[in-house]
Amino acid sequence: MVSACGTGGQQAAGGGSGAGATDKVYVVGTDAAYPPFEKMEADKITGFDIDVIHAVADAAGLKIEVKNTGWDPLFDGIAKGNVDMGISAVTITDERKEKYDFSDSYFDANQLILLPEGSTVSKLADLKGKKIGVQSATTGEQVVKKAFGDTYEGIKGYDDTPSAVDDFFVGRVDAVIADNAVLQDYAKKMSDKKFKLIKDDSFEVEHYGILMKKGNTELLDKINQGVKTIKENGKLKEINDKYFGQ
Amino acid sequence: MDWSVVYDYRELFIRGVGNTILLTSVAIICGTILGLFIGLAKMSDKVYLKAPAAVYVELFRGTPLFLQILLIHTAVIPGIWGLFFPEAKVPEALFSGFVSLTLNAAAYIAEIFRAGIQSLDPGQMEAARSLGMTKAKSMRLIVIPQAFLRMLPALGNEFIALLKDSSLLAIIATPELGYAAFNVAKNTFERYPPYLTSGAIYLILTLFLSRVVVRGLEKRYSPK
Repeated sequence: MVSACGTGGQQAAGGGSGAGATDKVYVVGTDAAYPPFEKMEADKITGFDIDVIHAVADAAGLKIEVKNTGWDPLFDGIAKGNVDMGISAVTITDERKEKYDFSDSYFDANQLILLPEGSTVSKLADLKGKKIGVQSATTGEQVVKKAFGDTYEGIKGYDDTPSAVDDFFVGRVDAVIADNAVLQDYAKKMSDKKFKLIKDDSFEVEHYGILMKKGNTELLDKINQGVKTIKENGKLKEINDKYFGQ
Repeated sequence: MDWSVVYDYRELFIRGVGNTILLTSVAIICGTILGLFIGLAKMSDKVYLKAPAAVYVELFRGTPLFLQILLIHTAVIPGIWGLFFPEAKVPEALFSGFVSLTLNAAAYIAEIFRAGIQSLDPGQMEAARSLGMTKAKSMRLIVIPQAFLRMLPALGNEFIALLKDSSLLAIIATPELGYAAFNVAKNTFERYPPYLTSGAIYLILTLFLSRVVVRGLEKRYSPK
């Protein structure tokens, strides 16, 4: 699912380093299968994160090009330098901070559990022994692993969240755990189906950050300045309202 | 590079090997049986047998297995269950895996059977018929056993391809060996250790399949 969405720009695949300092086009990677944060709309990448990164880049005076890299290649690409930044609803965690630098947070999220309407489950612990759909390597999977062990047989780690939700609605998994905004977005679209969303008190609030290669303080400072600007001038709130209502 | 992740996640790999072997074995057995009938149907003089068999083979050989897996898992199986067993639970990914691998393998195996049977001297069939055997009986007792020996190398290739292709099922979260590698790599940010480990296990499994299973069958069925 790696697809190049650019219409030129000077960076060829695998390159992108030798460009001039002033008009360098920064490649921003995302995994465009996580609505409403990022998704493909026809051949365009859209979503909350995409609006945010454009606003941040404008505020910081950077030129960017957003590419749909997929989740794993995003991390690999940043490590290798093919991709300059990543914005893909990435939660800032200590583990990830060991390998990447993160901007200041631009969004707070928490995990929710998607359950059938009549379910008696009221917290994560009640799901022990049941099948839980998650997107692999997301915080949703990490909370399940923390609760039931790294190799818990009931974890079904999908390549993307829509596939996990699909399998929930046909009954292959008993629950799905994912970010609130993503599940609430589904809830809006799937109003004809019966389900409920619950919160577990053990889930910590997560902060989404823009990630980049470790040690690139110049870029990090610019991005942080951009994040600060859109927080202060109300642009971030405007984008937030557009996607998640008041 | 941190190889300890393989040990930490060993259960995932062990479960993966078990399911990969299970998936491949079921698909080999069911695919061979189904493939034999489709191959025979394709050689039939009767159009109502020949045409559907030919269409089946072209459809399953001519489209990617990856697509077949997605279609069967996300659309066909939930659709059939919704229509015929609305009260029952839709079976898990493992079941979708059995179905898609079996249907796909059957198309290739049908062609292997057809080629094997057609490569045999028609005199074999004629001789059997002249001894008073029916067409079906001659096929079963004379033609197929001889043709089977000729098919074995091609069947061996198909079984190996099937074993490796089962890794495509990782996309629908089937807990097989490819999924184990995929999931560990995603969660640990380690790339070489999980992928090379599962690669080595696939290699051991394919070597076992070609050196032990297929060669064993060849020895057993060759004329003394």
